[in-house]
Amino acid sequence: MSLNFIGLVSALATFLSIWFGHVAVRKIEFISPTIWLPSTLFALVGIVFEWLSLSTLNFLLSTALGIIGITLLWDALEFTRQQNRIKKGHAPANPDNPRHARFMREYASATTLDMLKRDPIGRSVSQTEAVRLITGD
Amino acid sequence: MNFFGFALGISTLFIIGLGFIWVIRGERYFGYLWWPYVMGLGILLIVISLFVHHLWISALLGVFGASLLWGSTELKEQAVRAEIGWYPFNDKKILPPLARIIRKWKAPHL
Repeated sequence: MSLNFIGLVSALATFLSIWFGHVAVRKIEFISPTIWLPSTLFALVGIVFEWLSLSTLNFLLSTALGIIGITLLWDALEFTRQQNRIKKGHAPANPDNPRHARFMREYASATTLDMLKRDPIGRSVSQTEAVRLITGD
Repeated sequence: MNFFGFALGISTLFIIGLGFIWVIRGERYFGYLWWPYVMGLGILLIVISLFVHHLWISALLGVFGASLLWGSTELKEQAVRAEIGWYPFNDKKILPPLARIIRKWKAPHL
């Protein structure tokens, strides 16, 4: 019985490109002085991948390029969403990044703490307790 | 021109978008301890896709399976977001079978 690898290739492209985007957007937004530059680069690479996907007659290649290209285009928008998370304190700010340092002055909610870096405890917590659960004091 | 990859990419966008919704709702009503079942279902769909010869059905099974696999690693963090109050918290969750054992395992996060 022959196997059809189109689903496996689709799954790998989807999982690996989500994982890559998830990590890359966070790391790049953390250190980059601007977000328009990484957003533009991700969008350009995404468009090139889509163009290549349309150009190839190989279905496995067209599939991988098509999925990875679209997730890169999504990542281009995620830089803005990640920046908003920094302002709200939903993701940790980097005081060494001038853009983040400005958010820390302008938004009371911005913080260097990663509020999500813990296991769930099974109940609602106050802001004070949420901080204590990650700092341990 | 081969529109298959592009059309599948657009479909993937909607399937990932759906992922945002089910991770949030699923965690609220069922809790993050369901993660091994979600992960298992994701892997199962990807394996089934190998035996499906229809191009579109196999590809969509693969994408949906991968999205479930990814979502299973997001549930733990979503549970913490709800505890902090960034999302509504519901304390009457429908726990999965073997919840007491799963609680002792380290929930994955990538």
